[in-house]
Amino acid sequence: MVEPPRLPEGLVAVVKRDCPTCGLVAPVLGELAARGRSVAVYTQDDPEFPPTVAPRFDDRELTVSWHHRIETVPTLLRIENGIEVARTEGWSRSAWEALAGISPLGADLPAHRPGCGSLSVDPVRADQLRVRFEGDRLAARRIDLGEIEDELEAAYDRGWTDGLPVVPPTPARVLRMLDGTRRAPDEVVAVVPPDLVPVTVEKVAINAVMAGCKPDYLPVVLAAVQAACTDRFNMHGLLCTTYFSGPVIVVNGPIAAQLGMNSGVNCLGQGNRANATIGRALQLVIRNVGGGRPGGIDRATFGGPGKYTFCFAEDEAGSPWEPLSVEQGFARGTSTVSLFPGHGPSAIVDQISRTPGSLARSLAAKLRATAHPKLVMGMGAMLIVSPEHARVFAAAGWTKARLRAALDELLLIPGEELVRGAGEIEEGMPAALAAGRRLPKFLPGDFSIVHAGGSAGMFSAIIEGWVSGERGSQLTTQEVIP
Amino acid sequence: MTVTLLDPTAERGSVERPQAPRPASIDGQVVALLNISKPRGEVFLGQLAAGLAARGATVRHYAKPTFTKPAPPDLRRRIAEECDAVIEALAD
Amino acid sequence: MHDITDLEGAGLPGVFVASNEFVAAAAAQARALGFDAARVFVPHPIQDRTDDEMRALADAAVDEIVARLLAR
Repeated sequence: MVEPPRLPEGLVAVVKRDCPTCGLVAPVLGELAARGRSVAVYTQDDPEFPPTVAPRFDDRELTVSWHHRIETVPTLLRIENGIEVARTEGWSRSAWEALAGISPLGADLPAHRPGCGSLSVDPVRADQLRVRFEGDRLAARRIDLGEIEDELEAAYDRGWTDGLPVVPPTPARVLRMLDGTRRAPDEVVAVVPPDLVPVTVEKVAINAVMAGCKPDYLPVVLAAVQAACTDRFNMHGLLCTTYFSGPVIVVNGPIAAQLGMNSGVNCLGQGNRANATIGRALQLVIRNVGGGRPGGIDRATFGGPGKYTFCFAEDEAGSPWEPLSVEQGFARGTSTVSLFPGHGPSAIVDQISRTPGSLARSLAAKLRATAHPKLVMGMGAMLIVSPEHARVFAAAGWTKARLRAALDELLLIPGEELVRGAGEIEEGMPAALAAGRRLPKFLPGDFSIVHAGGSAGMFSAIIEGWVSGERGSQLTTQEVIP
Repeated sequence: MTVTLLDPTAERGSVERPQAPRPASIDGQVVALLNISKPRGEVFLGQLAAGLAARGATVRHYAKPTFTKPAPPDLRRRIAEECDAVIEALAD
Repeated sequence: MHDITDLEGAGLPGVFVASNEFVAAAAAQARALGFDAARVFVPHPIQDRTDDEMRALADAAVDEIVARLLAR
């Protein structure tokens, strides 16, 4: 950042004409000068004010006021050896006498009078000033639109959107977004596929503005970008596939409530700003920074609406079980994002089962059919158990581990049902693999269970996954750093 | 005042908005001649049409109702649907 | 130039042809629209040219007009 302009030695005052207290102290400034303590006066609005002293400095640009954090006028400062050693705001006879080392001062004035707001903190000017004085924190290329270009159309015309309009990323909005993190704007967060572009905090912030995020959401977006760009998550592979899946973000920890995220009614649907915009910001970064676009490297046969955004918070407070973050090895109370390559949701209805065994069998029946009932050990899944279903397990004292063990057993499927040709369906598992064995639907680590959803509704949800393992993508959890 | 935006991309391309992709040859292209309807333009356009046809293009003629405003949306739509390229003339 | 800008957005290569009185105005419009539309200029004046002179202007301009519709 640019160095603040230096103030002269001795006494400095910052005033504006449009301030009764500044008018009140104008003669005091004259008094100080007459007694050999001249004051360098910076005026914010009228260089002819106050007429009682000279020299006056024109700070209508507010450069001095901004850089020296003037919040009130009048402010009186004392500078020694180039350093501010004291300041006082408004008029207080005792404070001014102490600061100036002269007494009495302003004998015919009241003892105190509060000051007025400095123009450098005027909310109406705030954005302009920020951009002027902090704009050099921003390294991204500036694009000046034509005077009659519509800002929203401009984003479409340049190919920056996902089909929905984006918030125009002005320098003021991006500076505000950067307030949401302590990380430096030029810190490289990740290398984004497919073009393998190093992405900075600032670039993520620009896309987060476009997505409609609030500054508070930025740390979650940054964590999601980091997780998505790991080898483990293999965003490149996920982009190139013809399959349906895209990155799904599950948020855990205190950050979810702090941001007002939705883990309940309609948590996978529309309506919650944090859910909607965090997922969208990740997709915009991949598209705009990484170069991953539909029709380009993205050749999905269908894709799905989840590729606009797919982000929700796990309902930890209502859950009988440990959250996903804890299962992934993070301490309870740590805020994390977990990225899962998936699409969905698809529904599991069970409005009758009151016993855990029966309900587990319902869930397994639907889980078995993900991708194809005869295809196993290939794609993963995430089961979202709703509150009503979770209650059935909790009432019977089933831990998540117990449910998982039950499902694992139920999802061990006899090879003769899976083999190609079985059931007169040519698709299926190769005989060499399937013959004489039971095969698990999901490979270890490819099946996760979380708790979310509204409190009414005896359904659970499946987010179907993509190919896992080395060639595919795996559930990847990243801590959220402020 | 113009709006300034920060570039959300990897900045590998030009900041200029890209032109529509261009073919290698005009031969076989359907070219719209959009007359802005100022006087004398039709003579110019007529000669252009001959020149384009000689180069293997198929020419289709369109005219704006007035040169003072952009073309009406349905005229633009027709041109976009019916043609591969467009020449707009003759402003003076 | 609005029309050319709009049609380029729809995927059609486009060229705007004007008399050279228009050079500055066209550049200003291009800046205002945020799109540098292809443009070809012919010598002013236009209004008092004979038909033969108009046809000659067209013949003189056609190569460049066509070139602006093609890949460079």
